[in-house]
Amino acid sequence: MQGKDDDTRRFALGRRRLLAGGAAALAAGTSRAYAQKVVPEGKLTLAWHTNIAARWLDPQQHDGTASPDNFLMALHDALIKNFREVHFDHPALAERYEFAEDAKTATFWLRPGIKFHDGSPVTTADVKWSYEHYHGAWGEVLRSKTDGVEIGSDNTLHFHFKEPFLDFPILLGTGNVCGAGWPVPAKYYQQVGQAGFLQKPIGAGPYRLVSQEPGVKLEFEAFPDYYRPVHIKNLTMVAVPEAATRVAMLERGECDIMYFVPGELIARVKNNPKLRLAPVLSGNWWLEFPGFQDPKSPFHDKRVRQAISLAIDRDAMNAAECDNMGVVDGNWINDDVEYGMKWPKWPHDIAKAKQLMAEAGFPNGFAVDWVTPLPDYYSRGERIVSQLQAIGIKSKLQVMERGVFLKKIESGLSQWPGTQIILNVTRIGGTWSNWYDTMFKCGGFQAKDFFCMKPLDDKFAQYLASTDRNQRQALAEEIQKTMLEEYYFVPVFRHAFVNAYGPRVKVAKWQDLFPTITSGYAYPWEDIQLT
Amino acid sequence: MGQFVIRRTLYAVVTLLILSLTIFTVVRLTGDPVTLMAEPGAQEEDLALVRKEWGLDQPWPVQYAAFMKNVLTGELGVSFNYEMPVSTLYFQRLPNSLELALAATLISFLIGIPAGIVSAVKVNSVWDHVGKTIALLGLSVPGFWLGLVMILVFSVWLGWLPTSGQGGWRNLVMPAVALGWYFAASLLRLTRSSMLEVLRSEYIKLARLKGLPAFAVIAMHAFKNALIPVLTLAGINLVIMLNAAVIIEVIFAWPGIGRLLYEGIFQRDFPLVQGVVMEAGVMIVLINLLVDILYAYIDPRIRLSR
Repeated sequence: MQGKDDDTRRFALGRRRLLAGGAAALAAGTSRAYAQKVVPEGKLTLAWHTNIAARWLDPQQHDGTASPDNFLMALHDALIKNFREVHFDHPALAERYEFAEDAKTATFWLRPGIKFHDGSPVTTADVKWSYEHYHGAWGEVLRSKTDGVEIGSDNTLHFHFKEPFLDFPILLGTGNVCGAGWPVPAKYYQQVGQAGFLQKPIGAGPYRLVSQEPGVKLEFEAFPDYYRPVHIKNLTMVAVPEAATRVAMLERGECDIMYFVPGELIARVKNNPKLRLAPVLSGNWWLEFPGFQDPKSPFHDKRVRQAISLAIDRDAMNAAECDNMGVVDGNWINDDVEYGMKWPKWPHDIAKAKQLMAEAGFPNGFAVDWVTPLPDYYSRGERIVSQLQAIGIKSKLQVMERGVFLKKIESGLSQWPGTQIILNVTRIGGTWSNWYDTMFKCGGFQAKDFFCMKPLDDKFAQYLASTDRNQRQALAEEIQKTMLEEYYFVPVFRHAFVNAYGPRVKVAKWQDLFPTITSGYAYPWEDIQLT
Repeated sequence: MGQFVIRRTLYAVVTLLILSLTIFTVVRLTGDPVTLMAEPGAQEEDLALVRKEWGLDQPWPVQYAAFMKNVLTGELGVSFNYEMPVSTLYFQRLPNSLELALAATLISFLIGIPAGIVSAVKVNSVWDHVGKTIALLGLSVPGFWLGLVMILVFSVWLGWLPTSGQGGWRNLVMPAVALGWYFAASLLRLTRSSMLEVLRSEYIKLARLKGLPAFAVIAMHAFKNALIPVLTLAGINLVIMLNAAVIIEVIFAWPGIGRLLYEGIFQRDFPLVQGVVMEAGVMIVLINLLVDILYAYIDPRIRLSR
């Protein structure tokens, strides 16, 4: 498992951050010369696990989820981005950037000679237009904090902020959160409009789109003018929603990479000597207790929440649901996002759990109206229902369609009357604050009035207002510590998004194909080679 | 005859109006599509903007009027998910679905009709029992299960056929069999019962008494008359296969209309679901209308009855 890497730490306020421009330029020069020597060959097919939404091809309307990242990495390129072990600030279209000490300006130097797939150069005007017209996830935040974008001389672009904007580089460079740093050709976009762009998107990435069957198939071809070597000539992404079909495709060599092997098919892939599994760690799962702050709720008593934590057999869950390829950690926030804390594994102790229940006045347990897992992970919910029976908590599993679940979550406590437990999960890139803001803060998109712990929310407001990086880290850790020690959320485990690949893909280990845990998908596409 | 045609056409229009109202209401009862369209961290204002952009903030009567306008102009609205006219998406996928549906129809004919005839002619014999078993299996074995088993056997184990996708005839075999299997069973049952009825009729007895060979009686006299309800059913089956082969198209990653509908339902893409259902409805209603008119033309008693 990858911990908090040095790249996020070294991005510290208090010193001027200047990426090694000279070295980057040298590397760019070397890589361009190498790019010219590499002749892309062969064809690679990816079996995508859902239908392909057209909007994922347009960074301008990034929906804030991880899915677009897969397509952006092939078709488009960013100023800075996640790259293998480097989180968010690997120089890409920008050969270097500088973020001011006071976090109120950022300057990017565009790499010379970069082009869009139509042959037009990627200019600072394109980057400025793309940023200013960006209307996807986090767009409002960027707009509200940005004072202006100024085109400088020497291929530079200056971003000015109204107030210190510490999260700016993280937002700009995290392709599974925000698309504002992924430029589109401004003139072309305006000429064809958003709908036209979706039909024929033009980017500056390693692969250009040759043809598409909307929702079904995308055919790409290596872009010869990309500044890095591209090894495979043709890349096809085909939507295959049925998991068993994807596995069969991989077994027959009809595809080379497939995403999402569900638990029941893991053994089939594992037992095939030609195939390899790639268990990419994904989001953390946790239990939450809507309305626990109400004294009438049995969950109001910390001892009950602690007893529940003690009753959960996390190892059994990981074994049954992910063939032990997930990780039983202790935090509900992924520890690979900024300030996400590592936390030790929680104990499993039924005797102590029963004792705590008795002390809390529930020696024989109590009834829970519903345990509701995020659809469609119902088997995980069933395991929770069954494990809670050991301490006398009798509950039923509630099953609903995902859209309905999200709507109910977003509608607040009124939609969750009685005694309820939700088994929730998320995977938000970037920083821990995105998690807290969405999942716990009073009024948060998926928290609404479920929890509303004013002391913690006040600390979070302090965190947001602070420009002192040390103070921010201290506050972030204090909030997480309180949440965990008070069992406001009961973490369960971090599951694995299990992918697989076939014998034609030339990699020594699966991490070479799925190099970071910020994205569950294969990349960098240009680096992937065939045997 | 003219009055009959006008009356039937009015019925068809009313049916389509009821269908449009039903599908318009039902998709909206499934919940707010904006929930699935917006990013996880979206605020209420963002959701409101999306609703406004797609006209979902308007009262239902206004939305219905817009929907009907789109239906009448043939555009069917713009898909939330693809940001393309639904009619474009529909007609892009139609040839693929047509290819699959025609192949499945052919398979259902090849299995269902001969087996139905043999079952009826050799009633209560071993052949009849075999036919009944085929019908039972066809109606009870789920298409998705059959599809997955075929992929495992013919693609993975034997390596004869590709697992999925659209391409040459080899890609077509398994989805067509998986889809046509169920319809073969229904055709078999109908052919059998229809043949049995015809075989018991007076004119068949007369033909036999006249000394016609058994083959001629069955092929020239019985089968032709028994075929009318079978062909009517086959026509309806074709439209269903064309528009609603959802599971088979998903399993075999076949880029057809059924899969388009599936995508629309999961994304709460109202215009897409409404458009596909309306297109299917129009096809079924038109086919029924044509059949009714044809029947009335052939049999005057029909047009005289109300």
